[in-house]
Amino acid sequence: MRSFTHGILLSRLLLIWAFLVLGIYVLPSTANATTQKLVLSGSSTMAPLLLEIGKRFEATHPETRIDVQTGGSSRGIADTINGLADIGMVSRALNPQEQHLHGSAVAHDGIGIILHASNPIQELTNTQIQSIYTGRINNWQQIGGREATITVVNKAQGRSTLDLFLHYFQLSNRDIRAHVIIGDNEQGIKTVSGNPHAIGYVSIGTAQYDASHGLPIRLLPLHKVPASIESVRTGNFPLSRPLTLVTKSQPTELTKTFIDFAQSAEVHDLIFKHYFVPFQD
Amino acid sequence: MRLLSKTIRETGATLLVWGTATSITIPFLWLIGDLLWHGWPQLSLNFVLALPHNAGREGGIGPILVSTGLIVSVCMVVALPIGLGTALFLSEYTRNNHMYGRLIRGSLDVLAGVPSIVFGLFGNAFFCQTLGLGFSILSGGLTLACMVLPILIRTVEESFRAISQDQRLSAAALGISKRATILLILFPAAIPGLLVGCILGLGRAMAETAALIFTSGYVDRMPESLMDSGRALSIHIYDLAMNVAGGNPNAYTTALVLVGLLLTINLFASWIADKWTTLNQLPT
Repeated sequence: MRSFTHGILLSRLLLIWAFLVLGIYVLPSTANATTQKLVLSGSSTMAPLLLEIGKRFEATHPETRIDVQTGGSSRGIADTINGLADIGMVSRALNPQEQHLHGSAVAHDGIGIILHASNPIQELTNTQIQSIYTGRINNWQQIGGREATITVVNKAQGRSTLDLFLHYFQLSNRDIRAHVIIGDNEQGIKTVSGNPHAIGYVSIGTAQYDASHGLPIRLLPLHKVPASIESVRTGNFPLSRPLTLVTKSQPTELTKTFIDFAQSAEVHDLIFKHYFVPFQD
Repeated sequence: MRLLSKTIRETGATLLVWGTATSITIPFLWLIGDLLWHGWPQLSLNFVLALPHNAGREGGIGPILVSTGLIVSVCMVVALPIGLGTALFLSEYTRNNHMYGRLIRGSLDVLAGVPSIVFGLFGNAFFCQTLGLGFSILSGGLTLACMVLPILIRTVEESFRAISQDQRLSAAALGISKRATILLILFPAAIPGLLVGCILGLGRAMAETAALIFTSGYVDRMPESLMDSGRALSIHIYDLAMNVAGGNPNAYTTALVLVGLLLTINLFASWIADKWTTLNQLPT
């Protein structure tokens, strides 16, 4: 007899399953059809900021949805070109091959060299940084530091921080002798704060925030200019980048409204909250 | 003298075994302890229900929990019937050396070894772009289903194989059809194994980051339909820990919630499996 109860149970389970599958097909169609959706994709540096800007935009523009996806600037460009995203987030200026895209800067960010706070080195010249990253200098002693092997932390391919760093120091990624490859900024900071002999480069805003919250890292000045949000704002800091929103063609309608909103003074407090500097012409 | 050295050797062996066992427990306790230490202070009902604010630094994980639940449900609803059917085919409808069965098993073994980021990129290319589902909970759930199927099928197949051949033969001798044998005899007996397979799959699905970041996406809004993009718990943890300055405390608390959920599901499943086994052992 018991077997029969199992049989009934099984048919009930099948019924429940059928309802669930039906639900999957029916649910999507119940979504509000009048809602307009914008998909943003790209730079992980920009994603948290744009997520917040998107929320504020949704609050003032009902019937709109701003979906923010992440994965790196190259992904933002690729998704914009193949249509998966309406707007790409690219944390650098567009390069000559990308000039067919339309870019609008929303904020500025600097890239700073970071060391562990216990490292006695207070300053490095550009040549020294080049030598460290190409492996010609591999011990801190060679440049007046402690007797310890240097741990070189580099960014992963496709990250615009890497492109900017390479461009500024006139290096090619093939020449770099890295020991650790990192993705996002916080990961770089965690790597350097956990290794007294490491050197890395990350977004200045993030580094400044973490340093002021007790993480053992120190930002080095570049070309004698202190690495701080302040010097990025004044435009003195040599290694800075515009955080850019890109579109495939001239932005229109909702895309234009959103980009205008992201460039307006209404979001300056959000930009400061994420340790960037608002864009000013 | 020999007696003494023997005692020393025995004690040595005991210590060694205890030592290895302890070295397994310490990382686990350390991990849980660390999560509790950093995560517990922020944990509250409000944290579990509230919307995230300021890129997740403040607020809670309400929508993220809902998205995770939906993604995992889609995954299981799709994977379970397919997995069950394939496992039945492999254990009941093919012999061990059957060519097609071997092909399926071989491809499952290969699939089980594929890194999850590859599933993520496949899901992005196939579900999001080719099928036009975009970044959505549905894309994420289907991608996870592809990823979970190999484990699910192999576990369920094993649980069918573990059933004594006598039961099949007795059923055949009594003239019970194959369909009825499977439905009424084999299926109930394989339920505990089925549950284990589900839990293994569910665990892998809930803890997944790489396969989801390019499919179900990054949006931390409360999902309104399965076509909305929704952020999974593990992606939230990853983003807070690796991408958002000052996100650490909430990353810890979210991780605590995720680990707590997984432990609860595991306990619940083993409890059900226990219940089911005792139920079946009763004389009918």
